[in-house]
Amino acid sequence: MASIGTSIAASGPPKAVVRSKGYWSGVGARLRRDPVALVFGTFLFAIIGAAIFAPYLGLQDPYAGSMVSRLKPVGTPGHLLGTDELGRDMLARLIYGGRLTLLLGLLPVLFAFMIGTVLGVLAGFVGGLVNAVIMRTVDVFFAFPSVLLAIAISAALGAGIINSIVSLTLVFIPPITRVAESVTASVRNLEYVDAARISGASAFTVVRVHVLGNVVSPIFVYATSLTSVSMILAAGLSFLGLGVKPPEAEWGLMLNTLRSAIYINPLIAALPGVMIFITSLCLNLLSDSLRTAMNIKD
Amino acid sequence: MLMKTLRTAAIAAMASALMATSALAQGTLRIGMTASDIPLTTGQTDQGGEGMRFMGYTVYDALINWDLSSADKPSTLKPGLATEWSADPADLTKWTFKLRDGVKFHDGSAFTADAVVWNLDKLLKEDSPQYDSRQAAQGKSRIPAVASYKVVDPLTVEIITKQPDATLPYQLAWILMSSPANWEAQGKDWNAVASKPSGTGPWKLTAFTPRERAEMEPFADYWDKDRVPKLDKLVLLPLPEPNARSAALLSGQVDWIEAPAPDIVPQLTGNGFTIVSNTLPHNWTWHLSRVEGSPWNDIRVRKAANLAVDREGMKQLLGGLMEPAKGFLPASSQWFGSPEFVPTYDPEAAKALLAEAGYGPDKRLAVKALISPSGSGQMLPLPMNEFIQQNLAAVGIDVTFEVVEWNTMINIWRAGAKSENALGTQSINFSYFIQDPFTGLIRHLSCDLIAPNGTNWGHYCDPEMDALFKEIRGTFDPEAQDVVLQKTHEKYVNDALFLMVAHDVAPRAMSPKVKGFVQAQNWFQDFSPITVE
Amino acid sequence: MLIYFLQRLVSVIPVALGVSLICFMLVHIAPGDPLTAVMPVDATAEQQAEMRAAYGFDKPLPVQFVLWLGNALTGDLGTSIASGRPVADEVMRAVGNSLILAFFASAIGFPLGILFGFLAGTYKNGVVDKVITGIAIAGVSVPNYWLGMVLVVIFSVSLGWLPSMGAGPGGSTEWAWDWEHLRFIILPAITLAAVPMGIVTRTVRALVADIRSNDFVTALYAKGLMSRHVVAHVIRNAAPTALSVVGIQLGYLLGGSILIETVFNWPGTGFLLSNAIFQRDLPLLQGTILVLALFFVVTNLLVDLAQPLIDPRIRRT
Repeated sequence: MASIGTSIAASGPPKAVVRSKGYWSGVGARLRRDPVALVFGTFLFAIIGAAIFAPYLGLQDPYAGSMVSRLKPVGTPGHLLGTDELGRDMLARLIYGGRLTLLLGLLPVLFAFMIGTVLGVLAGFVGGLVNAVIMRTVDVFFAFPSVLLAIAISAALGAGIINSIVSLTLVFIPPITRVAESVTASVRNLEYVDAARISGASAFTVVRVHVLGNVVSPIFVYATSLTSVSMILAAGLSFLGLGVKPPEAEWGLMLNTLRSAIYINPLIAALPGVMIFITSLCLNLLSDSLRTAMNIKD
Repeated sequence: MLMKTLRTAAIAAMASALMATSALAQGTLRIGMTASDIPLTTGQTDQGGEGMRFMGYTVYDALINWDLSSADKPSTLKPGLATEWSADPADLTKWTFKLRDGVKFHDGSAFTADAVVWNLDKLLKEDSPQYDSRQAAQGKSRIPAVASYKVVDPLTVEIITKQPDATLPYQLAWILMSSPANWEAQGKDWNAVASKPSGTGPWKLTAFTPRERAEMEPFADYWDKDRVPKLDKLVLLPLPEPNARSAALLSGQVDWIEAPAPDIVPQLTGNGFTIVSNTLPHNWTWHLSRVEGSPWNDIRVRKAANLAVDREGMKQLLGGLMEPAKGFLPASSQWFGSPEFVPTYDPEAAKALLAEAGYGPDKRLAVKALISPSGSGQMLPLPMNEFIQQNLAAVGIDVTFEVVEWNTMINIWRAGAKSENALGTQSINFSYFIQDPFTGLIRHLSCDLIAPNGTNWGHYCDPEMDALFKEIRGTFDPEAQDVVLQKTHEKYVNDALFLMVAHDVAPRAMSPKVKGFVQAQNWFQDFSPITVE
Repeated sequence: MLIYFLQRLVSVIPVALGVSLICFMLVHIAPGDPLTAVMPVDATAEQQAEMRAAYGFDKPLPVQFVLWLGNALTGDLGTSIASGRPVADEVMRAVGNSLILAFFASAIGFPLGILFGFLAGTYKNGVVDKVITGIAIAGVSVPNYWLGMVLVVIFSVSLGWLPSMGAGPGGSTEWAWDWEHLRFIILPAITLAAVPMGIVTRTVRALVADIRSNDFVTALYAKGLMSRHVVAHVIRNAAPTALSVVGIQLGYLLGGSILIETVFNWPGTGFLLSNAIFQRDLPLLQGTILVLALFFVVTNLLVDLAQPLIDPRIRRT
């Protein structure tokens, strides 16, 4: 849960590697040969696929409760995974819940990836005052432990899906900016980038062709490893009552509302946590495999 | 040899562990409260009814106390630090209170008329040295009737009210007396008093860690010898998270928890724990908007909704931990009276009433209701409201919810139904403390208390009702006053002024070792007769 | 060397200022009336205005910030709205409790993480490595608040071995280093240690594997040197980075334990913070976030200052 920032501190920024043509097909081939990547990738795709196509899976209405069939155990006819505290079908809610949970894992990282890359490349490429302003601001945000920052911003903005996305995006911008800045700074001094600049290419072209090409993929790999952190954090916010609001189906919130059932029907109450755990496990393993396949050193 | 030594050591360790537990069980009661902090200890408590229950009526007394000795009948007032009181028949605003002789505070100082005036100054007189804004914030609004007060002789106090108000005794039952001598001894600093408070109550606070723990021991010199506590020690632990509270009880860290979640109750009883509950002067209701244009202005619609709710079904949902409403006050209340309208579950009658009001299958009624996912006294607001939504839909009323946080809801409740903050809703789901005439009836519907000036959220104003309220205040004979209160409540129910749904039953779960507890029909409780085996 | 120290020290000042500004602003963009939670629900408008003035909430924001910062510098973080006690006292007591918890979590997580990482890195791609990597990934991936709940159900409720909540039988003020009190810390410490254990394992594994794979070490092997020397070499080279990770994790342990402390009713900063949030206790919220963030800043500073002492490469630059 507290892993962000550490991979940077632990290993320094990902090294910029000059890529040859055929690089991506090589990566793909390596991934296909990695059994871990295959197994957990398939698993992850199944979870994501189920979430996306939830309405077409013939599931029950995840919001329709029935007071007479509350907290039915796993394996109840008609409710494969039982029912929750309002008698809603757990299977449907877990699959629908994946939609929001995964979205809350992906969107903040995606936004932070875009904003952080722009800020970092800007800081790293332009340098000087721009660099100072951006990086010192980032330093300040970096001075907060991620969990604390996410909770503090959410507490200030109040509960809600949008607010959770905003707060998590703000949490992830600083580390991504840092990585982007240091990779850009190292690329900037590569000989051929210098050469391009001396030969009169515009700054924009240099950034687009030479810098982005070399910078985006290491940052991207870094960002994928943040997705599971984002998901766990978002679910944690909902668990505290600072994230998604009822009656929405979301794993963290389900874990929260099912807590009072943990003594009556522990399996049902634990299921949302199991889902978060498995998904996050898949994401981390896949991210590791991707890292290895792309030859990025830890 | 080694094995033998080990075994002996193990037995010795077990024995000492056993002794430690039995020593702990020797008359110590550990209670898990729902509050997140130890209530204010200096006298006038915070944390609402729970604060008064655990830190108010334990360490302190009021001039007039609640009689908490019976579980079978609604609690009434009884003499506390005052032995008798009366309003002057010639001037009904002038009250005389005779004080109990020989009462001592925990610090040994004597309780006198000066102490009463000193305590009222503490709450009402901002330029008095002992004025405490924290206690004032809690106490001032409880005694709106009080205009002035003075010492007549060491054991007599006179209180003048702003207008004749027979509800003064109920108001004064809120006001707790802390020791002036102790405040002096603690350097006239309320923060210092907080860790060493002194009242006249049956319990002395002996140890206190903010947010974690408070310990009390019996006050052997308590003036009411029958209420000197039997326990050796009472320990209070704030455990706001319901799950943590239950886990603490199940794992034996506490002997008693307040408000176990309904879902956990079967597990608790299955493990041999006792669930104690009783009628509570509490009301879980939809306070209806009577602003122009609200569909609830039509009595037929109000009655239809009241007939559409399956309260017994809801009771099942709550594991039996609720009392289905038969009126605005619990049926056992001395002020219930005998209303003609009975809010039973009769969907057909509800449909007929709606048809009469001009609604039907092709013209369904749409209403917007304000609810919150949690809140003090709100029981299980989401499932309960969803249940009502289904019930009302069945008779032709479609409810859409505005869901807001509890603190936002309180602000909307203060602002009233006409305020923009109310988001155009036509009802607010609120829980009311309804223990006395003012909090129970007057404050909700009095014309001069229309929000934001008071707590009449729905902007209801009926001269007939106001006349009844005036009569309550002007009837000084308690029995005659009860009759007026009954008439008032009958009007509440006959006019179906609220969507009357449920009363909380104040469930608490306790270890079978806890003996002698009598749960009064009150927000406050008496811990004196309890023992722990 | 001295100049490096001074530079690092000075660079902390603007960060600390920025942190305090964020702490202050965060709380003030919060919607809703901060006094709602403390006033009796039927307080009049006049009483509300009085309370607002008493807490200084009627002044313009910049003025409030300057006043707040000035007071904070003298150690006065204001008064908690909900409890009426000084925020500094509340936070310090909570920090003490959180430090106890962080200490135990570190004592479990870091040695285990370093040992695991060392083993996995040494036997990279072997069975040991596979198992340890699995454990580490599980540690990083598990939602620790959920892990805490599961542990309570198993060890407190079902088995009855360990207490489920609180900081000792008599509360934190009577904390003692004996079994009666240590029992209370086992479950929260294990729960809190899961994530740092995973992170440290992964970092150390990568470091060790990296160092072992470089030519120098391979050469040492080739020369037939005893593996004891190899180990010493690896440790010497891995220590600085490992230290910095451990340092940062320590900061995270303190600030990141909010969910765990809520689950276990542990009276630390996280618990205080969640109370402050739900009671909208602004001064307490500001004070707690500020102290935690500054603690994190100082931990990072100490790690930076310690680096050159053990890593000769930095000293030279």
